[in-house]
Amino acid sequence: MEEKLHIDWLSVILYILIVIFGAINIYSANSGVEEVLKLDFTKEYGKQVLFIGVSAIIVFLILLTDYKFFNFSAYGIYIVVIGLLLVLLATGSFNKGAQAWFKIGSFKLQPSEFAKYATALALAKYLGTFDVKFEGKRNILISFGIILFPMLLTLLQNDTGSALVFGCFVLVLFREGLSGWWLILGVYLLAIFVTTILLPSIQIIIALLIICGLFTYFNRVRKQLVFLAVTVFLASSFYVLSLDFVFAKILKPHQQQRILVTLNQDVDEYYAKKSQGFSIFKFEKSKEKEKSESKRDYSYNVRQSKISIGAGRWVGNGFNNGTQTKAKLVPEQHTDFIFCTVGEEYGFLGSTLFIAIYLLLIGRIYYLAERQKNVFSRVFGYSTASILFFHFFVNIGMALGILPVIGIPLPFMSYGGSSLISFSMLLFTFLKLDANRINEISRLN
Amino acid sequence: MEKSKRLYVFIGILVLIGIVFICRLFYLQIIDTSNYYKAQAYGSNEITIYPARGTIVDRNGKLMVYNDAVYDLMVIPQKAKDFDKVALCKELMLDTIEFNKRLKKATKYNPREASVIYKNLPFHLYTRLQEIIYQFPAFYIETKIDRRYNINGAAHLLGYMGEVTEKQLALDKYYKPGDIKGITGLEKSYEIYLRGKKGKKVVLVDKFSKQQGSFAGGKFDSLPSAGQNVISAIDLDLQVFGEQLLANKIGSIVAIEPSTGEVLSIVNSPNYDPNLLVGQRRNKNFASLLLDPSKPLFNRALKAPYPPGSTFKTVQALIGMQEGVLTPDTKYPCHGGYHMGSITVGCHAHGSPLDLKSSIAKSCNAYYCYVYRSILDNPRYNSVQDAYVKWTQYLNSFGIGINTGIDLPEESRGIVKKPSWFEHEFGKNWRSSNVVSMSIGQGQIGLTPLQMANIAAIIANRGYYYTPHVVRSIGDQRFVPPSFKQRHYTMVNAMYFDTVIAGMANVCSPGGTASRTGIPGITICAKTGTAQNPHGKDHSIFIAFAPRDNPKIAICVIVENGGYGADYAAPIANLMIERYLSKDRSLPSQKPDMLDRMLKANLTGKSTTVKDSIMIVKPK
Repeated sequence: MEEKLHIDWLSVILYILIVIFGAINIYSANSGVEEVLKLDFTKEYGKQVLFIGVSAIIVFLILLTDYKFFNFSAYGIYIVVIGLLLVLLATGSFNKGAQAWFKIGSFKLQPSEFAKYATALALAKYLGTFDVKFEGKRNILISFGIILFPMLLTLLQNDTGSALVFGCFVLVLFREGLSGWWLILGVYLLAIFVTTILLPSIQIIIALLIICGLFTYFNRVRKQLVFLAVTVFLASSFYVLSLDFVFAKILKPHQQQRILVTLNQDVDEYYAKKSQGFSIFKFEKSKEKEKSESKRDYSYNVRQSKISIGAGRWVGNGFNNGTQTKAKLVPEQHTDFIFCTVGEEYGFLGSTLFIAIYLLLIGRIYYLAERQKNVFSRVFGYSTASILFFHFFVNIGMALGILPVIGIPLPFMSYGGSSLISFSMLLFTFLKLDANRINEISRLN
Repeated sequence: MEKSKRLYVFIGILVLIGIVFICRLFYLQIIDTSNYYKAQAYGSNEITIYPARGTIVDRNGKLMVYNDAVYDLMVIPQKAKDFDKVALCKELMLDTIEFNKRLKKATKYNPREASVIYKNLPFHLYTRLQEIIYQFPAFYIETKIDRRYNINGAAHLLGYMGEVTEKQLALDKYYKPGDIKGITGLEKSYEIYLRGKKGKKVVLVDKFSKQQGSFAGGKFDSLPSAGQNVISAIDLDLQVFGEQLLANKIGSIVAIEPSTGEVLSIVNSPNYDPNLLVGQRRNKNFASLLLDPSKPLFNRALKAPYPPGSTFKTVQALIGMQEGVLTPDTKYPCHGGYHMGSITVGCHAHGSPLDLKSSIAKSCNAYYCYVYRSILDNPRYNSVQDAYVKWTQYLNSFGIGINTGIDLPEESRGIVKKPSWFEHEFGKNWRSSNVVSMSIGQGQIGLTPLQMANIAAIIANRGYYYTPHVVRSIGDQRFVPPSFKQRHYTMVNAMYFDTVIAGMANVCSPGGTASRTGIPGITICAKTGTAQNPHGKDHSIFIAFAPRDNPKIAICVIVENGGYGADYAAPIANLMIERYLSKDRSLPSQKPDMLDRMLKANLTGKSTTVKDSIMIVKPK
């Protein structure tokens, strides 16, 4: 009897919608104004159609593969990808400067895109092992190790954006038992980080002192809480001072500016304030000089992106009619800033619908992940959803000007073969696992 | 919390992020409209499409001013690589050194933007280039519109075009820097009709200002609408004839159709060719015209106040009769002039005493000294000053001492002094004897040729005039400004005009001051004038209208330093009237001798030349 494919069609349909919509937007951002609508494989939108074809073949192959293959070969894939990253790093050091891709003909293969897939598989495999749970020092350390190793290798390639993506595995670990306090701590540290950059560190420390002092006063009977408050105060103060130091002395000017631009700061004004004793640590003069050259690029991207999106108004200019898009005013519009095209050509209503559809897909994957019967599938599902979510959050947040300019693609939308193929593999591997869940049940009967 | 329940935390985060993003989108796209406008500014470039400027035709429909296409060879320097430079230079008849120089200049200006490499292609070059231009993809021919004049005179009348000044830019939002507008003449006063409506094309540009195509599918584009054609009242044939007659003389002719106030011609001499002030050569030519000692740019007809001389006697007679101090039968003696104490106003030999009619025909000076003094010493007024004020009011009603309101810019009011001026000059209690020279149009009185022609028109109309206007109607709808149809009555009653007209009718007959003038079958009513002036020989002045009944033309001719009114002004006016009233303009003049004499006369004498400093270039 032929086995029925119990694939989650809702996810497949949403995926197809987003991929096609992506190709349409790449065409818009990429083609000339008075160009006749046709497929030109020498242009990016033409290549994207090829990548969609390749993805379809790979998706088909994944669906044909036995579900046990992924569990079986998880570590193998992980090791191969890590190996590729190491090779890249090695050749990079020969070639003076890091390279993030292998060149195959006219196409570039970016292993860091596949590293996420491999890491998801490896983490799922490890946590899915019969006697392993996310408890105990050893297990926790190994789990973090699986995540941090490829992250570090990507970071060494100067691909900060892709490296940050590995942070999303914290969400998976949260599902597997990591205390929620860690997430809250993360948010707290981020909040302190932002205020440290915006305000003089002395003011923050005084504010912390007052809050902790009041907390201590009202809970002076309970020694544990008093101890906690004092600890929080001391740790936070140390954190503020070290942040100040790192920001002023260690971060490169272009990194400082990315952060400042995101926080809506006028870079020149900021440096002027800082040099007048705003910060405890003085900015070096050479750095200040360097900044004005690189400054323009980041703020330019964000400004153009906001103008493009703002030009869309309620319903947008319509397909292929975005004036900013057609004028090619937004750099990297067909890759990292693809959302600008959506904003300008489909307006507020179109963009809202797009965000809703995208979040529906991610939510659907989380939902499917939770209903898995085995840990391997569940962890892999949560990883898939979290990777997509992190990309979506950072990419669109960047285009909307509320997050720093971190160059990571919008999955299924942005131009790029490596990213489209790797995200498709990620999604359909999980959907294959999910389909298998039902097979398992039917077999039981 | 049970671990499987943590799904809801994830779903919660997704919903929260969704809401944050949608709120941010709402702010960027709906609330903050500045991005929308910035988008329009950044991504688009407005290209103005200039409308064709209206043409100007004469009263018979003959084209006077029109537009012509001029062709410039343009180059986009960035693309100008790998082309047959030698072949192109050969076609353009340029040497490669000069060509390279121009290309380098264009590259320096902006390598991506088109620059002119050859301005005003001659027509044969234009047609030749049309055939071969495809071989030079970096080059193309741009068609621009320039003004052309069908006449090599009438420059003051038609005016010229020039670039708008910053002041004008601030006043009128129509103009953009570099735009051309009418600076003088009809080009200026009818600018708003002639200029038309600009069109615009909004094109999409990228960050290098490179055009990427139509913006928003041409939603904001608009077509230009051509300027309205102006039909002028000028008789081109008469205008050209007048210019021929005044050639080599300094002076002016103004001819008006009395029944409408339409100006038939305004001739100034010296004049210049309006085609000199067109296109590239304008600045150069303007400078040399400005430095010309004969002042060709000076619009004498409208701006030069001349002493009217004896032509003023007609006005004095009319005022005298209206004031009741003079009747057609009043006679005054003249024995070689007017003698009153120390004052003597000389007069030529004629019979004595004369009545009003004869005083005009014979132009008796003494007669008008009596008339003017009787006007000023009229016992109806408390003082000479009051009488003088009343007299100036009469003058104003004749369009003297005020702007006539002609539809040309820069008109002069002429000279009519206020009583205070005489107080300053002769003391508080100045008397009529102090100003007696004004009785014969000398002294503290100055009229422009236009004002004198207008007086002829007033007399022809027997007491009223229409504001002189050079334009008949505007546009296809034949719009006529209402002010053109409004009659201005003088303070003198129509019945007093007959005697003056009768006197003027005798001027061109035997016994009159211009007895050699006249056209068989047509009565010309005229008045000669011979104006003393500090610049040399007397000005020859003549005002006239004809025919006596139902007048068709009123004219004033002034020939500076031409001597007696009958010497030059009268014959010229005579020829002008003959020309205008003849049914067929191609018929020869009935007075070929007079025509010949006028055409050949040269009164310019010696005029100094000023070296054009701009021309002097040190040879390398």
